[in-house]
Amino acid sequence: MKIKDIMLKNTTSVLPDCHLGEVIDIMAIQRINGIPIVDEEQKVIGFISQHDIIKELLPNYLGIINSNSFITEFIQLSKKLKEYANYKVERFMKKNIITINEDDNEVMAADLLIRNKIHHLPVVRNGYLVGIVTMRDLLKAMIEEEENDKQEETQ
Amino acid sequence: MITTVTLNPALDITMELNQLVSNQYNSVKKVSRIPGGKGINISKAITAFGLDTMSLGFLGGHAGHFIAEQLREVGITTNFWHIEEETRTNVIIIEQNQKIHTLLSDPGPRISQRDLDRFMSIFSRVMAQSRIVALSGSVPKDVPDDIYYQLIELAHQKNVQTILDASGIYFEKALEAKPLLAKPDLRASGNRVFNKPVDSQENAIKIAHEIVNRGIQIAVISYQDTKDIIATSDKVWLAETINKQIVNIIGTAEAIIAGFAIKLMEEKKEDMSDIIKFAMACGLASASTDEEEFHTKDDVIRCLPCIKVTKLN
Repeated sequence: MKIKDIMLKNTTSVLPDCHLGEVIDIMAIQRINGIPIVDEEQKVIGFISQHDIIKELLPNYLGIINSNSFITEFIQLSKKLKEYANYKVERFMKKNIITINEDDNEVMAADLLIRNKIHHLPVVRNGYLVGIVTMRDLLKAMIEEEENDKQEETQ
Repeated sequence: MITTVTLNPALDITMELNQLVSNQYNSVKKVSRIPGGKGINISKAITAFGLDTMSLGFLGGHAGHFIAEQLREVGITTNFWHIEEETRTNVIIIEQNQKIHTLLSDPGPRISQRDLDRFMSIFSRVMAQSRIVALSGSVPKDVPDDIYYQLIELAHQKNVQTILDASGIYFEKALEAKPLLAKPDLRASGNRVFNKPVDSQENAIKIAHEIVNRGIQIAVISYQDTKDIIATSDKVWLAETINKQIVNIIGTAEAIIAGFAIKLMEEKKEDMSDIIKFAMACGLASASTDEEEFHTKDDVIRCLPCIKVTKLN
């Protein structure tokens, strides 16, 4: 399977000078968990996910999420979000990100996602953003392939 | 890649029933929900032909999400700016007994200056990966009259070729930016261009000349369902459909635009009469199906012998 056949063909992205508040708005309105940052030529230069935003504003949140102090930390997160809403996303985005070519396969995508502990892989063609692939897309494609195989066997 | 712009997309809901009776419960026999809009239809035709295309514009709300998902499902890449208001919904009621079609048209959302700025930024970036862009269809409320002019200028700055398919003031203002190909939407303008009627072959040729005289390389006038006039600075062609039954003209104009976009994007350009023949075959392939667009490349190839292109003096 080629990545271009299983990726989400949505190239929603933002420029590095986009404000963090607007990035959160776009993720909410488009129901996406992460968004690539591109340059003026639509080439991928960074990535930010909702997980990255929370981690940046509340560095030890994973440690406190199950503790009694979560409520106070949550108030702290809310304050910080308001404070940083007008900061440019380039301050928070992950740089030197891992991408995958649209002609690569699902095994390579799974390997990159697991080994680098990431949830989204921007898909590129000659460096230009052409889609996004997540582990969910890989699992869906694998299930569909298995169903197709079964149908072919019965025919 | 071919990029298409749909500034005012719609979710077209078609309901078929025997007869609509006012003030009563009416049971609907068949419902279909299809993403609509000229640019979207062009992208569908390009995808059916097996080529990559990206669809841009404004979407909003549940209808907007539905449209984006449907487009990605058929292989179209989406990069819409999502607005807060809901994308418009058109309801088409078909009463089978008396063959009555009733269209209920939603006025559609307003576009704020912020939405417009964000869309222009997306458009400008996407031009870096585009070879040709098709700008077509109606324009939502609060969007300036020269929107297509601005978009063509932006595309030309990035060396992207442009195709315009619009009507009225949006068409006339956009011509000033000199798109590569311009096709007035006669259906939307009551068969008038530059305030002149397009009711005969002679008038169609005059209008085509007037468009070309404004610096546009190719003018296309679909003055009848089966006849088109195509003009360049020094030649005029008549394209006709022969020996083929027209089933549904909805989507034909968009398929013709898709055909031109596909051929004009090729590095090795064919003879203009061959380009016209191919574009018209795309239109005919669409007109030969009940649905808005043709399904495969073979549908187009089968229609090629049914197109007659004649060079006029």
